[in-house]
Amino acid sequence: MDLSAFAIQLFSGLSRGMVLFLLSAGLSLIFGVMNILNFAHATLWLVGGYVTYSIFEFLSAQLGVSPWHILPAILGATALLGLAGFLLERFLISRTYARELPEQLLLTFALVLIIGDLIKLVWGVENRRISLGIEPIEMLDTFVNPYHFVIIAAGIAVGLGLWFFLHRTRFGKIVRAAVYSRNMVSALGIRIPMIYAGVFALGVGLAAFAGGVFLPLLPMALGVDHDVIVQCFAVVVIGGFGSMLGTFVAAIIVGVVYSFSILFWPDGALAMIFLIVILVLIWRPWGLFGTELRY
Amino acid sequence: MSWWSRLYARHGLSGPVAVALLVFFLLVPLLPGKFWTHVSTEILILGLFAMSFNLLYGYMGQISFGHAAFFGLGAYATAMVFTRLKTAGGEIGMIDFFLSLLAGPPIAALGALIVGFFCVRLTGIYFAMLSLAFGELLYYIVFSWYSFTKGDDGIQGLLPPQFFQDPVHYYYLTLAIVIAALIVMWRITESPFGYIMRTLRDNQRRAAFLGINVRLHMLVNFVIAGAFAGLAGALWGPFSRSVSPTLLGWQESGIAVFMTLIGGAGSLMGPLLGSVIYTCLQAVVTMFTSYWPLAIGTVILLIVLFAPGGVLGLVEKRIKARHGAAAAAEFAAEIEAADGET
Repeated sequence: MDLSAFAIQLFSGLSRGMVLFLLSAGLSLIFGVMNILNFAHATLWLVGGYVTYSIFEFLSAQLGVSPWHILPAILGATALLGLAGFLLERFLISRTYARELPEQLLLTFALVLIIGDLIKLVWGVENRRISLGIEPIEMLDTFVNPYHFVIIAAGIAVGLGLWFFLHRTRFGKIVRAAVYSRNMVSALGIRIPMIYAGVFALGVGLAAFAGGVFLPLLPMALGVDHDVIVQCFAVVVIGGFGSMLGTFVAAIIVGVVYSFSILFWPDGALAMIFLIVILVLIWRPWGLFGTELRY
Repeated sequence: MSWWSRLYARHGLSGPVAVALLVFFLLVPLLPGKFWTHVSTEILILGLFAMSFNLLYGYMGQISFGHAAFFGLGAYATAMVFTRLKTAGGEIGMIDFFLSLLAGPPIAALGALIVGFFCVRLTGIYFAMLSLAFGELLYYIVFSWYSFTKGDDGIQGLLPPQFFQDPVHYYYLTLAIVIAALIVMWRITESPFGYIMRTLRDNQRRAAFLGINVRLHMLVNFVIAGAFAGLAGALWGPFSRSVSPTLLGWQESGIAVFMTLIGGAGSLMGPLLGSVIYTCLQAVVTMFTSYWPLAIGTVILLIVLFAPGGVLGLVEKRIKARHGAAAAAEFAAEIEAADGET
């Protein structure tokens, strides 16, 4: 393989990794703080994509066609889904905290089915996508969609934003404290239920943001969430449950491994990823960047 | 005491439920049309699959999201042997047919031995994730290894011998095999081994203190559960005339989890009852609407929120409550009588 082909593959892997990071960041945050593995995360991502599409179409119909409508559309979808996440946590998820793990998994599993069908009811079975009319640009003798740069930038921006939020703001510090000892945080007079609802809203909002950002690249289709969620789990497991840095690194690893193995064994690229997951779980069940404490 | 409540006293809810289900299953082919016979065959096969899952979940306390891998391995093993043994005309002899059925459980057990070797080192969420990862790995291998497994297309043309092409005959064959498997499972869960499983579920550390080899016992149970899932898978191929990679996917594992939760994980018969409810519901709902996931999702949601023990858990609670009330009344009467004497 010559250098330019290598670079292109690396670039496409990086872009894929950033999409996975945007998707998994919310999942990892929710798991780290609340100890809930949300099967419905990718389904909410899908809803975020569809809502972005609807807002985009609405704005285009009202104000005329412009690719810049995508920005308010993504922000609107993020806010709406964040609110939905808040309500979901308050009215459903919060009822299962005292329960056992399988029941929590099942609740979110049920949400996958319910929300998936609600999408079908509202948006029908056709695939939805937004075309921004971006021309491919020539780079290293091949044509690439410049939108990949937007995705990589969005991924890095969200990563930095989350780091700033978790390490430099008061609410973020409380959230990190809650990861280690919810009892202590609660004893200090901080209302844990509100923290949980806020974190869940943030996580779902991030999923919706990822859906919106993803939309100009590939169409949203029913059932995609079932494949996507297991890849998100793979990222979160490899990175370490609850570690944001780990999620970031793991997303890049998964993206790059995928884009290189697709050259050698096109159909088996996903098998490679699950092989990595298995090796990581056997070697370090708490993930590459997780702490053994939580194992 | 009626024989019914004596059955309950000896075997818990599983006793009466087993008798009721046996009568139900024996009589199903008398219903007009082939439809319910077909549905009941599916109930039995998926019910066996769910019960094998419950050996891990209800008895050992670990949730596996990759259990369908062994269902699928069994189905593929049978399908491949079946395809080798059948004639060019697509027919298969009676002996060859049973030989191909026999191929399912050992292959699934072998797969479970390899997967389980790694899984039993972990518990809780990590057990769930590792089993899910193995399941997905096997799924993608079967999906993409076209020359060996026919990949995405699956394997078609698994037509059983003439005699078993009649749905009623195949149904009774399935019923006989499932009952035999059930009896074996019942003996296992009521044996000392079964009680060690319950100990592992309730307190692994204490089990280790008692000198129980925790990992070995978990591994043996994992292999047993895998073998029964493989048996269910073996029956699935000739029933649906084809196998496809989706049999190994996590959504298929989810079906076993759903059935177990609907019926109740606390007893041996719970998952089978869950399969009756799930599969019948599916048969009826899909007659009217394509929004089956919405319906079953809502059912699961309600069960998780309001009936965490499943249907059998609810019944058990009512019985306990009534027994408790009766016993309390008796006790109060005794005290009153004693008070009167003094």
